[in-house]
Amino acid sequence: MLSQFNRAATHDRPKVVPGFEAIGSNWDNRLGCWMAKILPGEFYITAADEGITTVLGSCISACIRDPAIRVGGMNHFMLPEDTTQGKSAWLDANAGLATRYGSFAMESLINGLLKLGARRERLEVKLFGGGHVLKAAIEVGDRNIEFARQWLRTEGFRVVAEDVGSDVPRRVVYMPSTGKVQVKHLRSTESGDIARREQQHLQSFAKQPVTSDIELF
Amino acid sequence: MARILAVDDSASMRQMVDLTLKSAGHVVVSAIDGVDGLKKASDGDPVDLVITDVNMPNMDGITLVRELRRLPQYRGVPLLVLTTEASAERKQEGRAAGATGWIVKPFDPERLLATVDKVLA
Repeated sequence: MLSQFNRAATHDRPKVVPGFEAIGSNWDNRLGCWMAKILPGEFYITAADEGITTVLGSCISACIRDPAIRVGGMNHFMLPEDTTQGKSAWLDANAGLATRYGSFAMESLINGLLKLGARRERLEVKLFGGGHVLKAAIEVGDRNIEFARQWLRTEGFRVVAEDVGSDVPRRVVYMPSTGKVQVKHLRSTESGDIARREQQHLQSFAKQPVTSDIELF
Repeated sequence: MARILAVDDSASMRQMVDLTLKSAGHVVVSAIDGVDGLKKASDGDPVDLVITDVNMPNMDGITLVRELRRLPQYRGVPLLVLTTEASAERKQEGRAAGATGWIVKPFDPERLLATVDKVLA
């Protein structure tokens, strides 16, 4: 016990990939490694022997890694509401706010991995979340799952493991160096807080529309 | 109506850019990376505009811009970068390579089309 305590007290946080310094990380005594925690709209990438964790309601997380060079990461996103009338095709340019936002979340994670030397054809993808947690909008989770699956299919990625849907929130712990994932289904009593946080995140899209920053030189 | 070369390694991004440009009547030639883009740009008549991603295998978008600027027929052609990269350093690299403008993803279709019109005018 004492040695474990000493290790916790003296262990330095592994080298953080530039750009991810703002993501909080704590020593996890149970797993004996550092654990970065991400929130809705964030993603995290690491080349170190550390974990990444998040809590998902209707949001979705892709856990992606290159096993050959042991770099990997996780995102955590949900699609903004699509106000277009009717059931729009996901690639309809006029209905595509949700699509563009989701693609951005997926592409940011994958580009970050490629920059660390990962190869697209080696990437291993696991998918979690999309629970029916938001009472007001049961279909939000399904829409997130449907988007993620379709995006991955279009890009030619195969999902090697997933735990999505149903009416449970989840805590996901991902170890990019090994690819191991632990998913804990949380009790529905915990859904309230998670749903509230996701609802806030959903509303933040309305206040701050997703729009491109354009600069002409 | 212009002939536009759109370069991106992401299939879904190629589809989205393609649909957006075609909705405004443009003719789109797609390429999957910088090498493919350079080949398609230099085969036959030059395109009126190039829109390229940055992070791609084989040849990245900034290198593609630099290579295109070396070709006499591309000295005056607008070259736009469309990327998730938003840092001032990367933008400066793009500018130094000869890019005409920088658009950060996720892109807004109407603003992309407005920018295309602007640089083609």
